[in-house]
This record gives sequence, C-alpha cells and structure tokens, in this order.
Amino acid sequence: MNTRISFLLNDNLISEELNPAAVLLDYLRSAGLTGTKEGCREGDCGACTVISGQIRNNTIVYRTVNSCLIPLMNVNGHHIVTIEGLNQKKNNLTPVQHYFINEGASQCGFCTPGFIVSATGFLLSGKDNSYDNIIDAIDGNICRCTGHNSIIRAVNDLAAEFSELPEDFHERIEYLIRRNVLPEFFRNIEEKLPHIKTMSGQKNGNETPKYFVGGGTDLFVQKPAEMLSSELTFLRSSDNLNEIFERDGFCFVGSGATVTDILNSPLIKDYFPGINEFSELFGSTPIRNSATLGGNINNASPIGDMTAFFLALDPEVILSGGTEERSVRLKNFFISYKKTVRKQNEFLKYLKFRIPGGEYFFNFEKVSKRTYLDIASVNSAVLLKLDNNFISDIHISAGGVFEIPKYLSAASEFLLGKNIDPEILRQAVEIADTEISPISDARGSERYKRLLLSRLIYAHFIKLFPNLIDIKETV
Amino acid sequence: MKNYDIIQHVTGRSLFIDDINVPNGILYAKVFYSQIAHGKILSVDLSEALSVRGVLRIITSVDIPGVNQIGGIVQDEKLLADDEVHFIGMPVALVIAESKFIAETAAQKIKVEYEKLPVITDPREAFSKGYLSIPPRIFSSGNVDTAWKECDFIEEGRCDSGGQEHLYLETQGAFSFPLEGGSIKVISSTQGPSAVQKTVADVLGISRNKVEVEVLRLGGGFGGKEDQASAWAALSALAASVMNKPVKLILSRHDDMIMTGKRNPYSSDFKIGLNKDGRILAYEVSFYQNSGASADLSPAILDRSLFHCTNSYFIPNVKATGYCCRTNVAPNTAFRGFGGPQGKFVIESAVYKAALKMNIPAYEIQRKNLIKEGQYFHYGQKAVNVMAEKTWNEAESQFNFESIRMNQKKFNAGNKLFKKGSAVMPICFGIAFTNTRMNQANALVNIYIDGSISFSTAAVEMGQGVNAKIREVISRVFSVSQDRIKNEPTNTTRSANTSPTAASSGADLNCNAVYIACSKILERLLLSAAEDLGENNSDNLKIKDESVYINDDKTTLDWNNLIENAYTKRISLCDYAHYATPELHFDKDTNKGTPFRYHVYGTAVTEVTVDCMRGIFKIDSVKAVHDFGTSLNPVIDLGQAEGALLQGLGWMTIEEIIHDKNGKLLSDLLSTYKVPDVHFAPGNVDIRFLKEPNPVGIFNSKAIGEPPLMYGIGVYFAIMNAVREFNSHAVPEFSAPFTPEKVLLKLYEKSDADGVRYESQTGEKSNIL
Repeated sequence: MNTRISFLLNDNLISEELNPAAVLLDYLRSAGLTGTKEGCREGDCGACTVISGQIRNNTIVYRTVNSCLIPLMNVNGHHIVTIEGLNQKKNNLTPVQHYFINEGASQCGFCTPGFIVSATGFLLSGKDNSYDNIIDAIDGNICRCTGHNSIIRAVNDLAAEFSELPEDFHERIEYLIRRNVLPEFFRNIEEKLPHIKTMSGQKNGNETPKYFVGGGTDLFVQKPAEMLSSELTFLRSSDNLNEIFERDGFCFVGSGATVTDILNSPLIKDYFPGINEFSELFGSTPIRNSATLGGNINNASPIGDMTAFFLALDPEVILSGGTEERSVRLKNFFISYKKTVRKQNEFLKYLKFRIPGGEYFFNFEKVSKRTYLDIASVNSAVLLKLDNNFISDIHISAGGVFEIPKYLSAASEFLLGKNIDPEILRQAVEIADTEISPISDARGSERYKRLLLSRLIYAHFIKLFPNLIDIKETV
Repeated sequence: MKNYDIIQHVTGRSLFIDDINVPNGILYAKVFYSQIAHGKILSVDLSEALSVRGVLRIITSVDIPGVNQIGGIVQDEKLLADDEVHFIGMPVALVIAESKFIAETAAQKIKVEYEKLPVITDPREAFSKGYLSIPPRIFSSGNVDTAWKECDFIEEGRCDSGGQEHLYLETQGAFSFPLEGGSIKVISSTQGPSAVQKTVADVLGISRNKVEVEVLRLGGGFGGKEDQASAWAALSALAASVMNKPVKLILSRHDDMIMTGKRNPYSSDFKIGLNKDGRILAYEVSFYQNSGASADLSPAILDRSLFHCTNSYFIPNVKATGYCCRTNVAPNTAFRGFGGPQGKFVIESAVYKAALKMNIPAYEIQRKNLIKEGQYFHYGQKAVNVMAEKTWNEAESQFNFESIRMNQKKFNAGNKLFKKGSAVMPICFGIAFTNTRMNQANALVNIYIDGSISFSTAAVEMGQGVNAKIREVISRVFSVSQDRIKNEPTNTTRSANTSPTAASSGADLNCNAVYIACSKILERLLLSAAEDLGENNSDNLKIKDESVYINDDKTTLDWNNLIENAYTKRISLCDYAHYATPELHFDKDTNKGTPFRYHVYGTAVTEVTVDCMRGIFKIDSVKAVHDFGTSLNPVIDLGQAEGALLQGLGWMTIEEIIHDKNGKLLSDLLSTYKVPDVHFAPGNVDIRFLKEPNPVGIFNSKAIGEPPLMYGIGVYFAIMNAVREFNSHAVPEFSAPFTPEKVLLKLYEKSDADGVRYESQTGEKSNIL
C-alpha cells in the first residue's frame, strides 16, 4: 500500500515509502518535530497548523493548513514548513515570536506554535496587511487561555511593523529573510522544489477506488482509520481540476478547487462582488486552503456551506467515469441523507453554472452557534432577477433543514412573477416551511431551525431590498 | 517580568507529555469505556480484541492489586467498572499494545453485554428519587422566614446554568515506568501531583514513597486536571506495573470529552425580598447540582456555591440549601470558579427579576446592596478591606455608565435591525481552599556554588505564570537577576503532601513558602557577609542588585563571592520551608467561620449588539475595574483576567453541553462544542487595575486565576436587555447559555407565548431529541 512520498520538510528533502493516507501530523511528530501539536484531529483547533508551499504558475504559493487532516499524498512535491523550520539560529527570535512574547500572548503554550505558524504564513501569503485579514489568518487557531486579546494585540503590532510587504514573491521572500521572519533556506526553495520527483500515480492500488479524496478535510475527520486501509484516488494530484474558467456563457469550477481558490478567483469575484462578506463564514483559513468544492458537494452533508451557496445558482455537476462524462442538475444530485446519484467509479469533475446576467441579486446567509469556524444551524442562499420590480427568476437554497441540501422549489416557484412585499414574503416563508423537515440535534431544535430558516429568508430580502421590507412588518 | 516559559512556547520547544522522548519498548494504552449510561455488566468478551496483532494484554478490574477506588471526597468511584456502569465513558478495560493505532483498533472489538438500568441526567429528577452523594448542605444567617414579612417586594423564580467543557488544548494523559524495587515513576498532566501519587499507591497497593509523580507543565488545566487527571495516571501506572514496561496513555480529544467531567450544571430556585428602597432583606436559594455519576469534587464545589450565593451583596437574612445530585453523566468536577459562578448567576437573576417587578434598573439594586467594610458575610466572616463599592465607583466614573446608556438609547432609537444592551456585573470571591487543611505548601530553594538558584514547589505551571511569580519573589528577596533562577519540574519527591494548584491559590501558597525558605537562606548569607566584611552583625547589611551593601554603601562583596565564601565556610545554601495560611477556621456543622484569607472584588460593564434578523450577537466591550492588589506581574495578571473573562463569556453564551435522554453526550467534539475564538472575543476588553495593596498578600498581591471569570455573567443580562429592546413581550428567563437559538426564540416570542421554557440542557432539550 505504501507509495513513495517526496517533499521538502523545512530545509530537508524527504523521500520515503509511506502510506499515502497517513496524515502529515503523525509523520511530523514521529519524526521528532513535536512543536506541531495534536489538539483535536478535526481541523477545529489549529494546534497542528503548518505552512504548505506549492508551485503554481511558476511561483510558490504558501498557505497554512491543518496537518491533522492532510494525507501525505497531498504534500507530495510540496514545501512543508513547521515551527522548527521557522526558528532562527541559536536563541534568536523572529519578529512574530517577539511580538507574542511582548504582549504575553502565550500562556500554557500548547496552541502557541500554531498561532506563530499562522501569523508567519500570513506574512508569506502576500495578502493585504489589513486588520481584518490578519485576524482571519488566525481564525483557525483556538487559544483557551489568553482570551485572544493579547494575541490580537500581538498580530496587530506585527501587521503595523510589516505594513509594507513587497508584492513580488522574490522580493517578499528576501525582505522576510532580511527581517528575520524566515530563515535563509527559504531563498533556495524555489530552485529545489521543481526538482522533487513525485509519483504521478493517483491510485492507491489498481481497483476502482473506494473513495476519491479531495482536500481530505471531511474524510479524514470521519474515518481516518478506514482511509489507511482503503483504495483511494487522490484528486488533488491532478492540477487541471483546480481551474475556474468561463466558456460559452457558463462558469466551470473544478472540483479540486479549494474554497480559497474559489474566493480568490477573479471570475467569481466578478460575478459575486459581495462574496468577501460571506467568505469568512466558510470554515477557517487553513480549512478553506484545503477543502475542495468537490469534497463539499460529494460529502452531501445537508449543511455544506459551498453546496448551499452554489445550489442557489441552479448549476449542473459534470461527473466523470473515466471515459464517459455526464451532467446532472445539482438539485437532482442528492437522493437521501449522504446519498447521491454518483456511481462508485465516477468522480465530480466540474460544477457548471450559467453566468448570471441582467439585474440579478445574490445573497448568502448562515447562522451557527459560534459565528465563525462552525457548522451552520441553518444556511441559505438566494439568486433572483428583477424585471420592473417583479421577480423574473429566483432560486432559494436551504441547508440544515432537510436530509439533503434543499432546493426550495415550491417557495421559489411561488415567488416567481410576484413583487416584493411583506405579505408575499410571509406566504413564501409559510410554503418554505412545508418543504423542510429539520431534526433536533446539537445544532438546534427543530422548532429553532424552522424559525431560523424563515428569518433567514426574510433576511435575504431585508438585506437586498431594505427599502421594500421593514423587519417590523415581518414579525 | 516575562513568563520564562514563553520563549520555549513561541519556538515550539516546550515539552508536554506526548512530546517527551520515550524509551525503547514503550507500550501504548487505550481505554475501553461503557457505551451505556447505566446498567449491569453481564459479560465482557475480550477474545476478538486480544487476537489483534500487536495487542499484548487487556487489563480489567481483576488485575488491580490494590483497591479499585479513586474517589477523593466520597469513596464512590471505581477506576475500572466491575459490576455496574454509571455513565457513558466509564472505563471498563485498558488495551495495551505496541502502538496507539493497534490499541485503538483492538478496543473497538471488545464486546460487553449489559442489563440496562434507568438513566437520569436531570439533577431535579435525581433529587426527587433521593440520589444524593452527600446529605443536603444548608448555610443560613438571620431568619428568612420572619424577614419576608418586612419585604415590600418578593420575587421567586428558577435559574439554570449549563455545564462547561474545560477544553484544555492538551488532552489528559500520563506516562509511567517501573523503577527498581517495586517503585514506579509517573509523568502526569495533573494539577495535583500528590493526589495522583495517592491514587496510584492505592490502586497498586504500595506505599506512597514508592510512587514518584512528576509534572513538567500542563497544556491548560482550568480545574479539569485537579482531580480527574488521577484516573489516567493510575491506569498507565497499573499497565506499567502489570507489564513491567513503560506505558503511555494519552486520551484522544473525543475520548477526553466523553470520559471526563465538566463544570457542574445547576438548576436552582430562588426567592428574593426587598424593601421599597431597593434594599435586599432576604434571599432564599436551593441549588440542585448535577454532580454526575460520582461525587468527585462536587461536594466542595457545592460549598463554594453556598459561600458565594450572595455575590458582592450584604443580605441580612439568607438561607441557601445545596443538593449534590447523582446522575448518569460523567462525574462533573472543578472548573475555574468552582461553584462560585453557578451561585452568582442565580442571585444576579433574582436581582434582575426583582428590578423588573419594581420597575427600576437592576444596577440600582446592585449598587445599593454592595457589601461594606465591617459587615458580615452570611458564613460569619467579617468583611475587611472591602473593595466592592470602590471598584463600582471607579468603573462608573472611568467608563461613564451614563454615557454608555445614552449611546445605547440613541443607537436603539435609530436601528431597527440591531439592538444594543448592557449590564453591570460586580464580583466578590473568597481566596483559600474552603477545606481549611488544604491551605499549606512547602518549598525547596537551592543556591548552587556558581550563584545560580533553583526552586521546587508543588505549584504546577499551566500557563498561569506561577513560576514567573515565584521567580519574582526569589529575585526580590535576594535582589538578584531573574536569569539566575530556574524552576524544577513539580515532583512529589521534593514536594510532599501538597495541595493541588487550584482555588486561585497556587501563587499565594507557594510564593509564601518560597519566601520563607529564601528568608532563612538570606539570614545565613548576611551573617556570612558580616563576617567577610568584618562587621559585628548583619543588622546594617543588605543585598542590592547582586552586591552586598552596608547601609547605603556598596561593598566589593558581590553575589558570586558571597555564595562561594559561604560554601567554603560550610554554610548551607539550601533550605526548605513550610507555609500554612494563618487565621483560617471553619466549622462544618454550623457553617460559620473565617474560611477565606481575603476576598477579591471588581466591577465590569458589558455591552452587546444583537442582530435581530438572525438572533446572533456580538459582544462589543467588557470594561472592568479589577482588584488586583499590588500585582507581582501585571502582564501575567492581565492575561489571567482576560482569559478568565472570555471563558465566562463562553459559558454564558455559546458553550453548550448537550446530553440526549440516554445520557449520550452530543457535544462531544470541537465541531459540536464551540468555545470562543478570535472573532468571538469582544472588540474592546478594557480591564483596569485597582491598585489597592493587599495587606495579607505576598508583596501585597492578590490571587487572580478565578475571579474575573465571573464578569462573564454580565453578558447574559446585557443580551436579555437588548432582546427586550426589540421585543418588549419577551419574558425574561434565566437559562444559560444564552445561545443564538434561545436569543432568536426570545426575539420572536409572542406575548401569549405558551410552552416556551428553556430548561437546563439535561432537561427538556434532551426530551426533544
């Protein structure tokens, strides 16, 4: 079952026969790199955060990831950086470490390496040094001791000192080396990385795989032991599945595109100018950097955020069974709880939706117990078009209220051709309530989820048409 | 002034149990636990599990050479179940294998047949059936029965508060290895090394001097490793003893959440009486504490609820009754605040409800009833050096409560979709273990011939910076650089018969013991210096900045010479000292006495904005004036206050422990149990230092660990106020946590609402699942 896995670990080349479904965290700790900690094994605490660098378009893109959920196959050919790889020689400290010490931003210390790695990963990523961005960079890290206030002060100090980061990758690396953020070896990574030979074979064996693996952020939470012994195909090894492109009035999103890829895509930003408003509601930075669209859809969770988002575009999914391809409307893709029409030998290749034209409106809503890095109690998206104040096209999705991601066909149909007023909406909400059957669980009671969906449908309209809908008229 | 550990932390070099280099041949253990909440064990089938390659042995209760009993206060908790199981997660067997993965795989193949027995998760139901771990506890002063007649307003109600998962980032674990002569060494992630030592000795049936327990540091404790680290240490020691090999046992996060107890949920009834001036004349409260399947520390926690049931208020007539109710969930345990938060939430709810009835703001009642110098707490202790009004007045003027209220009013008038609310929260918390005999500590201080210093105490470092504070004390006594001072790991061979690092008292107790040890050495050093310098006595001598001074004149005798000379003269450079907190006494029959060395006070104001479309909220600010005393280390103390505050805010809002009616924990992972993250943290946390010296504190300092958590209670009432700005029909109820679910239901509650009641999470919620 073992496969040759080759990658750069800090400044060392690793090339070993390893189980490709073993997770990076275990490899690192067994190799003595114990600065990377195990806190939860489900990508919810960030104690295991590492930086992963990958060549894309002839440059290295560095992003933070949760090493507890990354199968070794997905680090093949990458540059993996742990806290040990960031430490300066002797007892010198990096500016990131310095600010954390200065603000007392570490108490028990267990979560601290993860925070240092996340904050350093942020400086490497080349993102704008805004307050919001640097807070987002540590949104996948949980600290139980400090209350986060001292950590916020530390990363703010850091952002202030590094407010003028060079945009160009080479200049940025040089600058960060000069300022002791990164050790010298980073200078040579770009030269070394392309020479790492990686196995092209995607399969872990020759049979039809039991699982196609995307980012692994769900499969390796749910069934890590089973993954170690199953036939797997790793889709991330195939570059073209990451692409997002436009063709004949349709947008194609590759199933291997990560949430981050989607949010950064100029096309997507163009269609959904407001997407940044919702983007941080999807998982956390390291999860967004790993989780793929294909994984989110195929997982068929009734509550997948990306699924609910795209379902309101009434898209198709393109399934590939090797030589044959077929297309299925997303709203028909899901059959029952965690069951889809996908056959064992098929994998999801693209999501394809018609590029919205004319005067259209889009909104996404999500409410969870904790606003960020949490699974929704209920989520919903709407896409609608107005023609002379009448709704000429509308699609509403709802997650968390049915055994599958729900396309609210009756409510959508009802609203077609109507104008927007509180009474019409009240009726639509009532219809939507007949389309769903939420269950009581850790994310809320049935009664709550019904109320919440109705409030989120109102919220779509209050937000999009504040002049037409007064919240008091919806009570 | 930095926490020395922090340099190790930011570089990832700090070692936690799972990071320590393990010897060759180490074995790994995995606990197999009960899958049902209550039942008789009919049979245990280990055969399939034993056949897994790499499994060496599976230990059950019959393999215990000593006693199968780990209960601390009440002997009611077995290490491994033999005849009955009492909660889902109760250890039944221990798989020992060559790898962690093999042990986990094998544990899934153990089969147990049970005869199911009725499951109780609700403390009131347990009470009604008489399932109490200890007899009811009653604290009273004055006479409530006659006082009701004096009252102009009387309000009654019910109040529920939920459990709370500690979520120390480092899960529980231990690593044991046999030593020669039947001794054993245990490396444990525990707040209580002596408790682990006792448990291991009892379980193995050996004397305590054969058990060496060592603690390097904890990746968080918060009370969760005070008593509940002992089971995992005892299991790893048992395995190491049976196998005669080193054995490591580290709980996965999921196992940790299922097997270990949490903050005790409480369901309470209150009755409060006031005169028309808003003075509280009488208060009666009954606490139904959910202790879980065994007593653990619950009786002591219950006592602290009774001590703190009046929060910062002086109430002449009090009757508080506590019931320690046994249920079929994991044994609940210490959690920062230790019953104090649970008690305070009830009195604050009572005040809130009374204020509504009297149609005055709650803060008027709060302000009017703050305890004053010389008044007596209901447990008979005289209030001295009281800072209740002082912190209130400072907070009111520094943060301008009036402008907060005006801004809020203006905002709410101009906003339909969002509403703001605020609330004031005073706190008062007694410092000492309420079990008087635990208030003792010892310390060993060694000065080496090169002038470097090491110290050993029972203080367990878990991020609270206790070792930095001890270093500060040593550095002040000897007037030497902190760079010379190093802490040794906490170890029972150096610090025997010690109390856990808990009750906010770790710094007080251990700094005092260290202070005494240092003072003894200092006295000898100064005598030696007098001899070196030809002085008749040491009266005019002192050490300042590593040099010996005669009066204000610096001599040529520096620290290094002083030490070297003393050694040459065969003067001891080491000392050991014992400290017992003075003046404490408490009569457990009358429940009167002076249980606390002093009290910590403070006042906070919390502002929130509720999103009325979605039922979510943002905590805008928490501003407090806190009674720090003269801080030994302001960076550390501020960090403790901020961290405790956020845990309190989490407990009151999003941290929800949910069991179904079969006793199964539904919030059993980080994906279903949500703790505050960086976005949840209030945008503005402004905690200011009231710098009144504490006359009885070491260098006039005060304890810090627990009290600020209770500022978090204010958020409940701030949210309620904001909700009522949107929906004046919303009927206030007191059921924490105030989750987004409860907020939305309250926002849209109709005036004729029926059946809208939020019971404790072990109550009604479990019935709808």
